[in-house]
Amino acid sequence: MSGSLQNISSLDRVIHEPARLMIVALLSSVESADFLFLLKESGLTKGNLSVHLSKLEEAGYLEIEKTFRGKIPHTEYRLTKKGKTAFEQYRKSLGSIFK
Amino acid sequence: MNMQIDSAVKRSRGYWFVDGFTEMTVGGFFIILAALLLFGRSASPDTFTSWFLSMAGEVSIVKLIGLLAAIMILCWLKDHFTYPRTGFVRGTRITTALILVILRNIILFLLLPILALLAASLLMTSANSVLASMPVWFPIALGILWSIFFLLSGEWMGLHRFRILGIVVLLAGIGIGIWQLTIGLPAIPISVQPGLTQPTVVASINRTLTSLSDLVLISGAALLISGLVTFLRYRKENPKPYVEDV
Repeated sequence: MSGSLQNISSLDRVIHEPARLMIVALLSSVESADFLFLLKESGLTKGNLSVHLSKLEEAGYLEIEKTFRGKIPHTEYRLTKKGKTAFEQYRKSLGSIFK
Repeated sequence: MNMQIDSAVKRSRGYWFVDGFTEMTVGGFFIILAALLLFGRSASPDTFTSWFLSMAGEVSIVKLIGLLAAIMILCWLKDHFTYPRTGFVRGTRITTALILVILRNIILFLLLPILALLAASLLMTSANSVLASMPVWFPIALGILWSIFFLLSGEWMGLHRFRILGIVVLLAGIGIGIWQLTIGLPAIPISVQPGLTQPTVVASINRTLTSLSDLVLISGAALLISGLVTFLRYRKENPKPYVEDV
């Protein structure tokens, strides 16, 4: 098996799913974002987005922070260090496959 | 696929500019600054030092107050208009390491080439000709500098309109430089007395300030128009705040 083919099998399956990849990519360049931003940008349904966010949280790639903006409760999602590393690794692997 | 991922990454980075408010605010601030540079100058300065200090003071006060006002206006607009429509994004925390990286990049890509050009012009010509030609080279150099900034930041955030802004600012800088050249340069005396306000030197500096204010004014107008167009498009796409389905 050639090197690039081995890279395909080593791709992170949690991130590889298109919807989760989009969520991770959107969160990778910011500190955090709320549910509405992810909903609007990803074009997913609320239920679908919630499921993918839960899966990323279970994998330890995402953490949820509940804060207040004024008097309104606000939930923000941020990538953990593990999530950021996994995303960078995923992009490297992807790059080496299509070289 | 990597390009699609890049696009998503850039989309978040450029979210601060999604509604056009930032460009409109900065554009308005630039127009006020240009007005101050055009009309706020002392007509008969006693010494260069007092002249420079009074102008630098005025501009710094406007910058400081303008910056604080701009941040407050922007935060209010985003809280009441943008976040309820398309959500909230918290930008990357500015760490010391990040500041050092930004400083290094500014020095490497922006300041060094300009300093090299200035040094070359000083070595090749006398200081007087550099001072006399300041109304020409200053807006051109600043136009190049700002256009590089617009192009790089546009590329980094995937904002195509920043490319247009970069080109507008570059053309404005070159145009102002050419216009100053066509109306003739002031003749600077061979011996420039430091600290004294010789009329021809004052004329050169005044014309440089006019060039600068023209460039700031054009850039401000371009930013204002760009922001307005972006805002109208954003409002059309997101006419009402997001309401949860019941």
